[in-house]
Amino acid sequence: MQRDTLVSFEGVVKRFGTFVAVQKMDFEIRKGEFLAIMGSSGCGKTTTLRMLAGLEAPSEGTIRLSGKPINHLPTWERDTPMVWQSLALFPFLNVRENVEFALKMRGVGKAERRRRAEQWLDRMQILEFAERNIAQLSGGQRQRVALARSLVVEPEILLLDEPLSALDAALKVRMQAVLKNLQRETGITFVYVTHSQSEAFSMADRVVIMSRGRIEQIGSPQEIYGAPRTRFVADFLGSSNIFTGPVTATSGQGLEISTKDGPVRLAGPVAAMPGQGAEATITVLDTKTHLSVARPEGDVNVLPVRVIGEEFIGATATIYAETDSGHEIKVQKSHDELASLPISAGQPLFAWWSPSDSHHVGAA
Amino acid sequence: MQRHVSLYGLTFSLPLLIWQLLFFVFPLAFLVALSFWTVKNFAMRPDFDTVNWVTMFSRPVFWQAYGTTFALAGGAALLTSVLAFPCSYAIAFKLSDTARRWAVFLMVIPFFTSYLVRVYSWQIFLSDNGIFNVMLGWIGLGPFGMLNTVGATMVGYLTLSFPLVVLLQLFSLVFIDRTLIEAAHNMRCGRLRTVFEVVIPSARVGLTIAALFCFILTFGDFVSPVYLGGGDPTTLSILITDTTKSGQQWPRAAVIALTMIATLLVVAFLAVRFAYKGRSK
Repeated sequence: MQRDTLVSFEGVVKRFGTFVAVQKMDFEIRKGEFLAIMGSSGCGKTTTLRMLAGLEAPSEGTIRLSGKPINHLPTWERDTPMVWQSLALFPFLNVRENVEFALKMRGVGKAERRRRAEQWLDRMQILEFAERNIAQLSGGQRQRVALARSLVVEPEILLLDEPLSALDAALKVRMQAVLKNLQRETGITFVYVTHSQSEAFSMADRVVIMSRGRIEQIGSPQEIYGAPRTRFVADFLGSSNIFTGPVTATSGQGLEISTKDGPVRLAGPVAAMPGQGAEATITVLDTKTHLSVARPEGDVNVLPVRVIGEEFIGATATIYAETDSGHEIKVQKSHDELASLPISAGQPLFAWWSPSDSHHVGAA
Repeated sequence: MQRHVSLYGLTFSLPLLIWQLLFFVFPLAFLVALSFWTVKNFAMRPDFDTVNWVTMFSRPVFWQAYGTTFALAGGAALLTSVLAFPCSYAIAFKLSDTARRWAVFLMVIPFFTSYLVRVYSWQIFLSDNGIFNVMLGWIGLGPFGMLNTVGATMVGYLTLSFPLVVLLQLFSLVFIDRTLIEAAHNMRCGRLRTVFEVVIPSARVGLTIAALFCFILTFGDFVSPVYLGGGDPTTLSILITDTTKSGQQWPRAAVIALTMIATLLVVAFLAVRFAYKGRSK
């Protein structure tokens, strides 16, 4: 089902002096979705959010909200509440007054204001702190106040600028669940800016990955994880082994490139098939890459490697190895799967995977 | 718990302690003692008599002067704060970093010249045939009696305290978290309303302290009420000089001075309490 478009960016450019923060951006935000905008610092993700909130004016292009251009609207005439990284709670107001603020600005009467504020405080499970000062609250409680303050006006869209970055890991996961549930229950469109892959991928329906002011890929977390569209995305996610080289063979059923360590094949349909001899990049997820002592038989890509070391991450481990030419290959496995392998630095092994697990990304 | 007074700490706090004793505690103690002395035949005698306190507090002229001085200082604190705020707001939020440094420098320059000189130069502008009246005469107005009025005293008070109030306000305004202002805008709070809803509450401590400094400076000022206000109405500082001149009544002057100090202590205490009200440590 095609959902309605709530926000559209049409050829939006943002320059600060000679620095181009956002270049020619075209994308849409659908009504009721949880959209994460992800990228490393300076990629333009926060600028994008601030343009939507009306805190920065686009240098070129049009931003539409519900079909109407909003470029010329100052932020105080838009209904695009935002949750700041610093939360930006007013220290001179108590919790309830903070939540009532936006209602007061809309001219809502005192009794009604109080009722609605308390309703949201209750929903966020912080009603008991209503008369406290902001300074007396913990990080998680402040987070809830900030959310209540923005949601009390029941907006169509909520903008969040790295709101969880100051929390410790356990609290972060807890707040992720709060956010996700809140979004599902209210149906409000969430636009969530973050540099954290785990935050974006665990909450969002769709993820926008940005780099140097450009959108690299838009898609569901599964799509992006399984099929990074550009070399940047594959690198950024860090979960793929990446091979680049000239194309030596193409067919309707795949392609082959030549690397310093030997041929790497891809089996399956390829959108935008590169020409013979052109530079192409093939990736394979580290979870789909295997290691063995004996050279595997059959229709697989095989590269001889030497173990560099391993890294434990909870139930899984990542083995780092390198080919003769020094190309790094990582393999993620559960501890059980690794039990039979001799893993010590310098150990020669074979890295292999099925060509049907190979994935072609656009050049660059 | 045992308390240690380290020799190191003592050495470095000693100058402050000595300074406090020499220039504050001793003179104050002397002033208190003096207020109980008596005067006979134009000569002061050490004594312990409450007569000076009773005499001064039962004189309507004293309470009149007290009321005038308090009202003038309160009015100056309010007027200066209101006039200085747009100025410090503009310097804090509308200027570039370089321009802001220049503005601060320009605010410091008035302190290079004596306050008395600046007040005298106001006479040249405000007197009956002064610069303002001559200019008004060109368009057929006036002359207006501007010198020796309460308005002229206020001009003097502004001259005294305006740059300081701007600087004090500025220091609290520049430290306001800009995201608070953005957040207010984001919640439909327009520009002007944000000043009242967010900027002023955020800078409350600095704004109150600035007004307090203005009150303290003007409450004890002698120069402006005499040279611009013409000594009428009488303020407490004028009353002090009059009292000392007439019959060597230094003990009565001490009563006035001590009343002023007590007033300032109470006002300062209330102002600081107001400034930090509702703030948790």
